[in-house]
Amino acid sequence: MSFEIPIGPQHPALKEPISLRMTVEGEVITNADIRLGYNHRGIEKVAEEKNWTQNIYLAERICGICSHSHATCYVQGVEKLMELQPPRRGLYIRYLVSELERVHSHLLWLGVAGHEAGFDSFFMYVWRDREIVMDLLEMITGNRVHYAINAIGGVRRDLDAGQKAKVLEGVATLKKRSEYYLNLGGTEPSFVARIAGVGRLSRELAIALCATGPTARASGVARDVRKEDPYAVYDELDFEICTADTCDVLGRVVVRIKELLESYKMIEQMVRNLPAGDIACKAPRKAKPGEVVSRYEAPRGENIHYIRANGTDRPERLKVRAPTLGNYPATVEMLKKGFIADIPLIFAAIDPCICCAERAVALIDARGGETAVVRMSDLRRQAIARHLNAPVKGNAAWPL
Amino acid sequence: MLSKLARWSRIKSPWILHLNSGACNACDIEIVAALTPRFDVERFGILLKATPRHADVIVASGPVTRQMRDRLIRIYEQTPDPKFVIAVGACAMSGCVYRGAYNILGGIDQVIPVDMYVPGCPARPDAIVDGVVKLLGKL
Amino acid sequence: MSDTEIVERLKGDLGARALEIANPDRRRIFLKVAPADLVAAVTLLRDRYDCAFLSTISGLDAGEAFEVLYHFASPVTTIHVRTATPRSDPRLPSICAVIPGAVLYEREIQEMFGIVVDGIPDGRRLNLPDDWPDGVFPMRKDWKHVRPEEVIPGGKP
Repeated sequence: MSFEIPIGPQHPALKEPISLRMTVEGEVITNADIRLGYNHRGIEKVAEEKNWTQNIYLAERICGICSHSHATCYVQGVEKLMELQPPRRGLYIRYLVSELERVHSHLLWLGVAGHEAGFDSFFMYVWRDREIVMDLLEMITGNRVHYAINAIGGVRRDLDAGQKAKVLEGVATLKKRSEYYLNLGGTEPSFVARIAGVGRLSRELAIALCATGPTARASGVARDVRKEDPYAVYDELDFEICTADTCDVLGRVVVRIKELLESYKMIEQMVRNLPAGDIACKAPRKAKPGEVVSRYEAPRGENIHYIRANGTDRPERLKVRAPTLGNYPATVEMLKKGFIADIPLIFAAIDPCICCAERAVALIDARGGETAVVRMSDLRRQAIARHLNAPVKGNAAWPL
Repeated sequence: MLSKLARWSRIKSPWILHLNSGACNACDIEIVAALTPRFDVERFGILLKATPRHADVIVASGPVTRQMRDRLIRIYEQTPDPKFVIAVGACAMSGCVYRGAYNILGGIDQVIPVDMYVPGCPARPDAIVDGVVKLLGKL
Repeated sequence: MSDTEIVERLKGDLGARALEIANPDRRRIFLKVAPADLVAAVTLLRDRYDCAFLSTISGLDAGEAFEVLYHFASPVTTIHVRTATPRSDPRLPSICAVIPGAVLYEREIQEMFGIVVDGIPDGRRLNLPDDWPDGVFPMRKDWKHVRPEEVIPGGKP
């Protein structure tokens, strides 16, 4: 006897409105279906009518959390089309902002994961520390989100000695705090028990369904665009790919915290070795006909832009594939055999561009057709209560 | 007498519903950031609620996509009177960079009546809190 | 293996079926095949060239034909398979049997360009709204969006 539960699109969650339909037998989900399209804005069509510079601002607003990653991926591609070599200092500043964005995004996600698992104090602590990164970004670029620091040929703002010192100071504080969170998350038995074993995605499925980013890396697939296809400064920096073997939400938390620590290392290297020189070179108005594929490692996975030019000052085609889209088939797999109460956690674990707070779930009785509205917060509380009463899993060890 | 009490509680502690009608999420993170310890909107009595039936104020962001239009109207009707709508961000005001796209209606006020506009791309959390407080001052 | 070695191996494996192979930049290989050879080429890439990861599928309206690119990534390089299908009868075989993760991208080119993908496991709309008229394909070059009159509440008439 199975029910179908629709979830979304309205929820005070910050995620893009999305509609999920789960078929459930009792408490176990047997099938999940995702309806996209609530957030479809027709950006690729608008991009064909704007010129190369206007499209930087359009590309930034594809997503609010990884806005710099879309803008940078686009600008990388256009610079290749126009055969420009931006100066080294400009490139260092651009990728410094990229790593700071990765820090802000992972901290955001950690807070959200804590909230979905019922650990609200963790959420508040992490977001308080995230404000340090937001202040650094505002100091460097002028805005907390949508930095607009990219220009075709380099960056728009420079970094002086005082700002460099502030960045190093901020990163040192964050490093201490992140290590505290690593220990906290690792030794807090109720938190670990809540997230271990939830949302399993085996290694073979992760490869077959083309999962990308920390979702795939937590299943042992060691692919990272910064190592495979190093663009600009990444072949001069010293960092590791972070993976985990547990294939569940615990693995994803571990991978993201480890990536935070790697990002701090990279930020320090970039600030210390910032080369002198110009920050941008002049870009032509028109691009020669050609095509380019630009890949970038966004905080959520691989971001790919395909740009084709036809000799005018507008792109002929701009195709964007954001990383979360690539993780949707993997999410459907993860939801199967999960419990209803784990839905918010599993969905949040792929870091779907943001996810927080509650959703209203309507339970449709397949036989009678009556609807009862259940709040996701109730489901979450039920899940937390169930986990408290269950014996703590003996093998929930922190795979450090 | 009771209505004065109700009005006082509505001003002193408005409960908000956050609605994303197809935005890029930047305004939405800033709305959540308003809950966090730095800006802390809960000290004004503002609570984020899950369902429209408990809310006094709808905080809406995003240019309205065609798919979200009916849902937006439905949620507006599910919210009990008296209700207020705050449109946060440049997208909710006029469509921001997406003006002219085929799937966008262009601003929340094309679909439901709006009481307060908070500009910015994205609007800062302090601006959002300022907007809510100014709206309550008009009551 | 460097790019030139991979290009040589591809020429050897595919022979005449590879209509065109180009290596314009480091780690970018562009390979052109006919639609009938698409599934065979993708299977070959997955089995022998370690390209199990499909980044995305891009469609492009090139006037007389629709060009579709399949972007694959392996740990050492990226291979992009290009194929063209005529505008009058746009059909392509589905590669979902080989790469299960391709279903969402194929749904997208179906609804955006009107290319019929044969054998797709799930052919519903992906991004367009429920009330979008059938037969209207937004990403085709000959379709322009006409913006309706905008009413500004409280503004000048």
